[in-house]
Amino acid sequence: MQVRTAMSYRTDYLFSLIGLLVQVFLLTVVWRSVYHGRDTVSGIDLSAQLAYTTIGTVQYWLFSPWTFSIVPERVRTGRIAVDLVRPLPFLGQITAAQVGLTAGVAPFAVLALPIAILIGGAAAPGSVLAGFAYGLSFVLAYCLATLFGAVVGMVAFWTTEVSGFFMLYRMVGQFLAGALVPLWFMPGWLSALAYVFPFQAMNYTPLAIYLGRDHGGRIVVDLGVQVGWLALAAGLLLLVWSRALRRVISQGG
Amino acid sequence: MLREFRMYAVLLRAAMRGQLQYRANIALVTIGGFAYQGVGLAFLWVIVSRFGALGGWSLTDIALLYGMRLTSHGVWAMPSAQVLLIDLAIREGEFDRYLVRPVNPLIQLLTRMFPIQTISDLLGGVIVLTAAASASDVRWAIGTVGFLIAGIIGGALVEFAIYLAVSSLSFRVVQARSPMLVAGTIMQTAGPYPQPIFPSAVRAVLTFVVPVAFIAYLPASALLRRSAEIPYADWLGYAAPAAGLLLALAAYRLWMRQLRHYAGPGN
Repeated sequence: MQVRTAMSYRTDYLFSLIGLLVQVFLLTVVWRSVYHGRDTVSGIDLSAQLAYTTIGTVQYWLFSPWTFSIVPERVRTGRIAVDLVRPLPFLGQITAAQVGLTAGVAPFAVLALPIAILIGGAAAPGSVLAGFAYGLSFVLAYCLATLFGAVVGMVAFWTTEVSGFFMLYRMVGQFLAGALVPLWFMPGWLSALAYVFPFQAMNYTPLAIYLGRDHGGRIVVDLGVQVGWLALAAGLLLLVWSRALRRVISQGG
Repeated sequence: MLREFRMYAVLLRAAMRGQLQYRANIALVTIGGFAYQGVGLAFLWVIVSRFGALGGWSLTDIALLYGMRLTSHGVWAMPSAQVLLIDLAIREGEFDRYLVRPVNPLIQLLTRMFPIQTISDLLGGVIVLTAAASASDVRWAIGTVGFLIAGIIGGALVEFAIYLAVSSLSFRVVQARSPMLVAGTIMQTAGPYPQPIFPSAVRAVLTFVVPVAFIAYLPASALLRRSAEIPYADWLGYAAPAAGLLLALAAYRLWMRQLRHYAGPGN
């Protein structure tokens, strides 16, 4: 169903793609400019940095749909009441909706990738193993982004004025996920801070694996951290949901 | 003309009263807006602190540019961001009502609602600008402060002109939202960057086609005594405020002219 919803905003997504490509262009212009006359900085050469930017921007775009949770809209319109009596558990419904939304926009990301590569640049994965590990890490990162999005979306059960809060989550998340600057260029304290939050596991980790920056045993650690965050996110979602459900009942009267 | 401004002030105040009822929401939206603008600045800060400079511009230079762009954006957006919703006003039949009332339809469009999310732009812009201005080695005197203010107002007028010109499409082809979003993305993304980093073709487009350079880059270069790096004419930086005024007037004339072709939302 959400696939259809996403498709009915085709023109909006097409224009959002222009925004995505402008972003790729701008970021790569910035990297080309600062790399002028240098070979490698922090062990990363320009072509690897451009690949990071191109693949990362498209990947991040795919992982962060405009509506990262359908809950606020359901609560505001009261459709939540109908959702709750459906035979499918509510958490299953919102997860399915989110996956559907991604499936709907995925063709746009596939369309954007070659153009983005043309503007920015690409690199083959660091090794065959890195390629496979990237695939695994990519899936985990998507699950993480979706689950945390669901947790944050639950805020709608407590307040209907969610736009400011969501913007804060999205922007802090974007930065700490390494969607603009990879963690390896951040000052030490900032990257240490980024590692405390789950956001890096939603975007940076698969990219670091892909480029071979994280290799060997480090890949296992990376994937382990992602799985750990995933377990935590699932637990958090169940906890918040059980509280939220009580709120619905108390409001229902 | 004076009457028009008075009408505008009265209607804007009424719209503000309506929106300012929801204080907690305003605070949250403003914090969200700060986060949005802050991330852009944080990106530049990380880059410059890692690589030393960007396009030859130091961190304080870039912060001044960023602050000027954001303040201009706030000065534009607070009173006139509603132009972005022209499609909606037309589709809902609201615009038809504007035409039968004895007030300029553009004024009615701009005052249909007060956009609270723009508070953070102006406030954030002034904060960044103040910090950057005191850290910068520009010698602040009546002349430079006066030019800074003129540059900011000129920048707001350029942004106004671009949006207004694009919005007039909606009198002819019904949908102006997407082209306006694209124009907005270009201004938002390219606006706060020192232009020497761009390839020369892109620079030309940003100066003469979508005149983003006039919003903040050109006046900031003049203030920072960097006019020599402007490839076309080094006086362009000083001319930016006047260019803003001329562009805004031209866009207004275009808008009024296109309005004559308006034939209603189609039912």
